[in-house]
Parts: sequence; structure tokens; C-alpha cells
Amino acid sequence: MAETSLSQAKADPTPYKGSRLGGLLHRNETLRGYLLMSPTMVIMTVGILVPFIILLVMSFWTREGFGFDTTLTTTNYQRVWTEPIFGALLSRSFWISGVATVATVLLCYPMAYYVAFHVHRNKMMWIILMTLPFWTSYLLRVFAWKVILGYEGVINSGLMSLGLIEAPLEFLLYSQTAVIITLAHAWAAFAILPLYVSLEKIDKSLLEAATDLGDGPVTRFLRITLPLSMPGVIAASFLIFIPTTGDYITPALLGGPDGAMIGNFIQLQFGAVNNWPMGATLSIVLMLWISAIALVFLFVTRKAQEKIA
Amino acid sequence: MDVVDQLGSVREGKLSRRAFTRGLLSAGVAMATVPAGTRRAMAAAEDQASYFTWGGYDIPELFVPYQEKHGELPNFSIFGGSEEALTKMRGGFVVDVSHPCNSGMPRWVKTGLFQPIDTSRLSNWPDVIPELVDLPGNQADGGKIWMTPFDWGQTSVTYRTDLFELEGDESWDMLWDKRYTGRLGSLASGGDAWWCGAIKAGVPMSDIATDEAFEKIAAVMREQRPLIRVYTDDTTTLEQALSSGEMAAAMTWNSSATLLQSEGVPVKFANPKEGALTWVCGLMVHKDAPNLDRAYDVIDSLLSVDSGKFMINDYGYGHSNAKSFNEFDAETLANLGLSKNPADVLEAGHFQIPQSQEWETRMNETFEQIKAGF
Amino acid sequence: MSGTYIKRPNRPLQIYAVIFLIVLYTPVLFIPMFSFNDSLYVRFPLQGFTLQWYGELWTREPVWNALWNSIKVGVVVSLISTLLGVVAARAITRYRMPGKSALVTFIMMPLVIPGIIFGVALLVLMSRMGVPLSLYTVTVGHLIVCLPFAVATLLPRFEGFDPSMEEASADLGENGWWTFWRVTFPMVFPGVIASMLLTFTISFDEFIMAFFLTGTDPTLPMYIWGQLRFPQEFPSVLALSSLILFVSFALVFVAQRIGRVGLEDEL
Repeated sequence: MAETSLSQAKADPTPYKGSRLGGLLHRNETLRGYLLMSPTMVIMTVGILVPFIILLVMSFWTREGFGFDTTLTTTNYQRVWTEPIFGALLSRSFWISGVATVATVLLCYPMAYYVAFHVHRNKMMWIILMTLPFWTSYLLRVFAWKVILGYEGVINSGLMSLGLIEAPLEFLLYSQTAVIITLAHAWAAFAILPLYVSLEKIDKSLLEAATDLGDGPVTRFLRITLPLSMPGVIAASFLIFIPTTGDYITPALLGGPDGAMIGNFIQLQFGAVNNWPMGATLSIVLMLWISAIALVFLFVTRKAQEKIA
Repeated sequence: MDVVDQLGSVREGKLSRRAFTRGLLSAGVAMATVPAGTRRAMAAAEDQASYFTWGGYDIPELFVPYQEKHGELPNFSIFGGSEEALTKMRGGFVVDVSHPCNSGMPRWVKTGLFQPIDTSRLSNWPDVIPELVDLPGNQADGGKIWMTPFDWGQTSVTYRTDLFELEGDESWDMLWDKRYTGRLGSLASGGDAWWCGAIKAGVPMSDIATDEAFEKIAAVMREQRPLIRVYTDDTTTLEQALSSGEMAAAMTWNSSATLLQSEGVPVKFANPKEGALTWVCGLMVHKDAPNLDRAYDVIDSLLSVDSGKFMINDYGYGHSNAKSFNEFDAETLANLGLSKNPADVLEAGHFQIPQSQEWETRMNETFEQIKAGF
Repeated sequence: MSGTYIKRPNRPLQIYAVIFLIVLYTPVLFIPMFSFNDSLYVRFPLQGFTLQWYGELWTREPVWNALWNSIKVGVVVSLISTLLGVVAARAITRYRMPGKSALVTFIMMPLVIPGIIFGVALLVLMSRMGVPLSLYTVTVGHLIVCLPFAVATLLPRFEGFDPSMEEASADLGENGWWTFWRVTFPMVFPGVIASMLLTFTISFDEFIMAFFLTGTDPTLPMYIWGQLRFPQEFPSVLALSSLILFVSFALVFVAQRIGRVGLEDEL
């Protein structure tokens, strides 16, 4: 990359006699870059930044009958702070997402490891195979799990026909377990890719060196492979934990009364409960918590890595 | 096939620039023509009236006259509860016809989002049962009305006759029966559940807005919450659960019981001794309805005898067209919990009374918190 | 891949990999299976084979409307997001810009922020501006979701190609656009196709944004969501879902193949 830009900069001032603007653009690399970026940035700004600002402003409003009271107040934030339900829903969401994240990373690590170290041909096919289901409709994948975990679903009717259980297992559906299983399955691709990339990058000669120095497979893994793949583990954890905390389809379809997450409550504020400002506040609070958790997580892993190094 | 060929040539590094340009050209032509074709199709679909309704009403059977006239079905949007629908419309969602119920109608009118209906434009109007039109708050200026009644029925308990062991009479206590913990289901919308809670708590409908009533009903709902396997607006979920035996009893509308019975599942739609919850739902027209003429056609189609027969026979709901009932004998109707005279059914139960917006939001907020376990 | 490190196959890992793939795919495969089942309800044992549900699908007008809506949105989204992705990826790889990594992070944000927050924020924006919800608002929502994927698909393409080709063209006196058109674009072409297919699929399957931003015209996933409430439609929904799954799988498979052509060495 750096090389590209350097050689480009060197080659640039020579040919070209266009309009003055063209000349300026041609000479000024940075300006041209920004210009090229600008349509994308405009869309992203309109689509992300502006809505966020409005969301933030609205979170300081309150509901009033059919409309909004636009005087700025922190009432909503006080409610989130004082009423136990919001804290409980938030911590439940983080708990469910956390467990799902850990489970996904643990289950996907051996898979990524296998493809990185033991597959020598058609790696591309393996990667495609492992990520393909991710691209299909999220709604349908969640829905499929409902079919599987259901009272007369695949698992229950299978186990019953094998004579392993007498009556269907009811805890499978409408529970936190159901939500965790579904999330772990649905987000597997987000774990596999970063894990694979970080494992693949590991210099194989390091492993051979370790073997030569008499490390067994376990020690070698713990001393070299695992620490070197930590960036992948961290990336995977982020990519799964953050989006899943706000999920509401999975808990809505599979969670039952005890599996509801903060996303469901946010959605309700914009629907049945009809308190948009409160919904905005909850979204902002969720964002803040996610950022805080992410920062702490980053800090801790960095410390840990320093210690290892 | 083009894509595959190109793929092959790209992989072999053989794709010449000319071949590439040609491919690009054809791709460009293909893409340029897609939007054109789409625009045409879209124009056709947009000409139809849009109908914003509960799930299950978006089917051809209810639009036979409309389809005969316009060749196509209206466009449908679906909501899970009427409060959700109102919120969406207040957020700028414009449709031609929507489908509220009597308890919400005055509040819907108050939003100023709807226009009065000129009943002289409806060919089926003379057959509409007058008691169903004469609801509080339904009269608009100039002899017009806000909501034309369409369907009416009950919210009650559907239970498995083989799985649920009755103790005494059918009653709302069935949904509070600890013997069936985790095997009971409920509708998620407060518009039904809260009112049923009021019946269970012994709160008269006329007192439902008092603070005392709020406390009483909330207490009842909290007591029920640990027994409930799932709260859902999705009647499929309840029906499937009842059919598989996952649930022994659930709060449903008429249609669930009727559908399950036609599938051969041994269920009964209870006639609770405290009385069921009764309601009338109808059709309102948006003030900015883009296809006003067709909006009237949607309403007329829904009020037709064809639609009425389907509603009674397949869904077990009452219909607002008196002639729809002529096809059925008294016994069949009684088995469905219906009657040619709606007042017989509506007054035997607890008829919902419209409430203020403040009440509605407070109720929904409280109920959502209870469902979440607080 | 130089060393002799672990040439010996690792049995347990191999078995694990196979089980992993089975578990990954089975849930999704039950949908097609039950779509051929001759019963209104989804439960074992299977009641017999039927094509009835697919036949019913054929005659359902709303399904076709919803399909059209999804295709319209998908095509527009895939074209715009890929176009924007191309310029962005080119700018990112080709020019030195201060704050470049911040810009890239900004573009990639939708990947990690819960979808509900974007959906809600856009809903609030639209309603404050008085924009009625329609397929256009869904398109804007999908654009935000798809852009990061377009950029992520195109970036490796632009990074991977040899700038000396462009220089050679420039030295031959070709102007900038001509160079881009004749030299750069053909090289990144597979990435462009891959990006278009992927973004189309994402938009086609997207639900969360559509949930908040759909007006009267439902997209296909929104239609399915509505039909889930309705038991008689349920098997048809399964049939429809099977078809969608099939199309998505096919599109993504092709996209992945094309997208990685020539990049195999990197893998």
C-alpha cells in the first residue's frame, strides 16, 4: 500500500493538461481521494450520523398523549436508572449474548484451526461452505430453529422415537437456552472468518521451531498458536457480542417470557407501548453500555497480551 | 449462463477486453431493462387500495367482489395489535383502509387521521346489522359514520378436551390453573389480555380505568405470568401448541378453535361462567387515502355475503351482514358460539368500553413490564 | 505453506469438522423438508409427499407482489452500494488520506452496531422529516446495511492488483478515466460482480431494517413475517422459504466463487 502511493505520487505530476480544476485534482492526491470517498461518506452520514443525532435529541424528550413534549429533560434516563426492569433486561441481554459469544468462539475455533492447518487443498471451498448459511435469511434461520426445538420438533420427536425420553423436553423452546443455541448457530460465520484469518497468518516455522525445542502439541498450542490467534478471538467476540445484544427476532420467536431481551423492549416502545422517546433513550443506553463493555474488554485483553509477551 | 462462462474465462485468465466489454454491455442492458419492467409492475400494484389489517384477513376469499371488479387483490399490510397499528399510522404510514376494534375506535378518530365514511357508497350497507353500527363514538357529522362494522366475536379460552381436566364449569380460572403451569398460552396484546384479566379479577368494564382496577388487574396478571408458556400475537403459535399438546389451554379468538376443530383436534372454545370478552371490529378510511374509490370497494367486499359466509364458516367469527347468517341453521351457529342476533352474544359477555389514550399507554406499559417479569 | 508441519491428518479434528458442517446445515434443511410434507402443521412423523404448497404459492398474488418489491429494492441497493463501494475502495487503496482508517471504521460501523438501533434511528429520522414509509425508505436502510459488505468485498480486489499496469497506461498517454475503464476496472470486475450478488442477497433476505421501515408494500421477508401468524398459510410459507433459501445459496455461492477468483493465493 505505502509503496503504491509513493510510486504514484512520483509518477503523477508529469503528463496531463486538463482544466485547471482537473489539474488541481490531479496534483492533489489527498483531495482526489476525499472526492472519490465523498458520495459514500455522504450516504453514510445521512444514514448513520444524522439519525443518531436525532435519536439522541429525542431521548431527552418525553411522550405526551399523541405527540412529544420537546422540552429537554433527563426523565427517561432517570427512569432507566431507577426502575429495575431496564437494568434487568440489559444485564439479561448481555448475559445471553455473552454466553452465545463464548459458545460460538469455542465451537468455531477448532473448525478454523482445522481449515488453517490441516486442509491443504480447496481451502476456499471450505471457507465458502462454512460461511454460506450466514448469507441466507436471518429470519428463516431463526424460524428453522423453532421447527427443531419445538415441542413436537425434530429433537423431541427424534429422542422420543429412540425411546430416550418419555415426554417432550419443554425447556428446549421458549427459554434462554433456545435463544443462546440459535444465536450461536446464526453467528458462526462471524467467528470462523476472523479466527481463520488470524490462524492462517501464523508463521508455521515458529511451530516447527517449538517442536524442535521439544514442545509437545499441547504446550506448543498454548505457547504459540493460542496467543498468536488472540487477535482473531477478540475480533470474533466483538463481531458476535455487539450485534447480538440488540437482537429481538430470536427472543421474540424463541425466548418465551423469560427470554425477552432489551431489543424486544426497544421495539415495543416504537410499537404497542408507543413511547418513542423512551425507545430512543433505551437505544442510546444500549449503545453506551456496548461501548463501555467493548473498551473494558479491549483493555483487559491488551493487558493480558502484554503479560504473555 | 453468461456469468458461468465469464467466470470460467476469468479464472483461466483468458477474458479478453472485447469479451469483457461485450459481457458488460449485456449486463448493462439487462439492468437497464429491469427497472423499466419493474416500474410497470409497480404501477399496476400501486393502483390497488391498501388494507392494513390483522394477520389472516389478507386472503382472496374475502375479496371476491373486489377481485371481480379490479382483477387483483388489494395490497395488504399486517399488524399484530391495534395499538401497534395506530402507532405506525401516526408515524406517517398511509393506507386506504384499516381494521380497528370498537374499544380503540374513539381514540383512532381523535388522532384526526381518518375520514368519515359515506355509507351510501356501499352496496351492502342496507344489510348491515344496525346494532353493530350503533357504537359509542361512531357517529360523524352529516349522517356519516367513522367505522363500518365488519367482524365480531369473543376472546375466550380454547382448551384441549382430552388434556384439560375441568373442575366444575368452564371459567377464566382455567388460565390461572397451577396444575397446568407452563402449559397455558396467552395473546400478547394488552388489548385482549388486560381486559380478560379484568374479567378474572372481577373488575367491571366500566371501572377499568380506576387506579384500584389497575392494581387488581396487574396483580392477577402477575399471578398468571409464571404459568404462561408463551405470550404471542401470533395465533399460529397458539394453534400449533394446542394441536401438539404443548399447551392444554390458551387465550384465543374464535378462529383458532374453529380452525383446530376442522383439523380434527379435540378442542373447545370455552363459554366461561364469568363471561367471555366480546368485541366488534370494523373498517376505517384514512383521511389521505390515495385510492378512495377503491377503499370503498374494499369495505364493500368485506361486507359482502361471500365474505360473511367465509368468516362464519371457516373462522367462526360473526359478520356484520345479516344475510350472511341465512346460510347457516341455528344449531350450527350455536355450536360456533354465534347468533343471528349479535346482541345475544355481545351482551352475554363483557363488551369492551373505549378508553383514553393515557389509559391505553399506561395499560400497555404495565402489561409489557409484567410480561417481562416485573 | 512451506513446512512439513502436521502433514499427518488429525482424525478427531476431521470428525469434528464434519459434525460441525452437519450441525451448521441441518437446521436450514428442515424447512425444505417440511415444505413437501402433506400436513398443515410442522411436526413428525411426516405425513406424505405433496407439491400442493408450492402449487398454492403460484396462485397467491401477494407473494408475487412481495417478491417484486424485494427484487426491486435488491437490484437498486446492489447497484448503488457496489458503485459507492467501488469508488470508496479505490479511494482507500489508491490515495493517501489523513484519517483514512477512521473513515474505513465509520463505513464498517453497521457491521457491529445492532440492527435495531439503525432501524429505529432511521425510522425516527424519516418520521421527523415527514417522509412516508415506502420501498424507498427500505432501500435507504438496506443501503446502510449493504455498503460495508460491498466495501469489504471490493477492498481486497483493489489492494490485490498491480498498480504498475495503471502507470503503464498513464505513461502511454491514456487519460485517467480511460485508464480506469480499460485497465483498473477489468481487474476488479470479479469483485464487482461478487459485491453485486452479495449485496443483492443481503437486501433480499434483510428483515430488521425492513421491519421498521416498510410502508404498505412488504418485502418478501416482511410478507413471511406477516404470514407466520396465519396457520393455513404456514406450509406455503415453508415452500416460499425453501425457494428463497435455494436462491440465496446459489447467488452467494456464485458470488463467493467469483469474488475469490485470483485471490486464492492469499487464502
